[in-house]
Amino acid sequence: MLHFNIPNGEKGEKVILLLRRHPFIILVRTISWAVIALLPLIFYLLFGNVIAGFFIAEAFYPILILFTSIYYLYIWLFMFAGFIDYYLDAWIVTNKRIINIEQKGLFNRVISEQRLYRIQDVTSELKGLFPTFLNFGDIYIQTAGEAERFIFKQVPDPYRVVKKITLLVEENKKFHNLMMTEDKITV
Amino acid sequence: MTISLAIFYYIYLILVIIYLFYTFSNIYHLVRFGFISIGNITLIFFYLAVSILILTISWRYIGQIDWRQTISLIPQFQF
Repeated sequence: MLHFNIPNGEKGEKVILLLRRHPFIILVRTISWAVIALLPLIFYLLFGNVIAGFFIAEAFYPILILFTSIYYLYIWLFMFAGFIDYYLDAWIVTNKRIINIEQKGLFNRVISEQRLYRIQDVTSELKGLFPTFLNFGDIYIQTAGEAERFIFKQVPDPYRVVKKITLLVEENKKFHNLMMTEDKITV
Repeated sequence: MTISLAIFYYIYLILVIIYLFYTFSNIYHLVRFGFISIGNITLIFFYLAVSILILTISWRYIGQIDWRQTISLIPQFQF
């Protein structure tokens, strides 16, 4: 069992799966920012002397210092924000429901949930070169009477996850039907 | 026409304040919605350490500049 604070956790609810995007996604983002961080250095090495001629000599140095400082501060900030976006996007499968937590930007957080017994169809999709080699992909979860699907994005080992969710859904449906029958008998 | 070099310095300070605001917001999100773990705390300290390092190095250079000087916007040609 995973130790995790479930949003609006219910009595007897256990976390079965806690999923995030594949680490490859954050690695690609980090490399992209690292390349952007190196750009001014490459640019300076290639065209430093030419550019210096365009600026008014006395203003060039202070502005360059300020620009460089801000440039690296903000790259560092965006890298950190990228990590937080990755880290706070999570999909939780418990023994009772699935929870979709999405951090859309800094001040926009969406949490949606669906009961396991309402799930009708679970599909995984593994598309592209890197997803195929590294075994990550999307999982689509269709629920009863809902037009909108739940999508687990770029999660590792999607086949195993689908198998696990399907098993949980079957168990939960059996339990739910049993509960419904008991309720009818009582009434 | 001349402008004070200090204008760029003030713009820089505003951008640093925005940076600090977003830094605070990011850390708040990580603490509030993330989970207090050693990994998380290490990451926050690492982020803050690098931020302080960038600001300290910047300040070393910025402190040496005379921001009272003015710069000419119209190029002056000498014949």
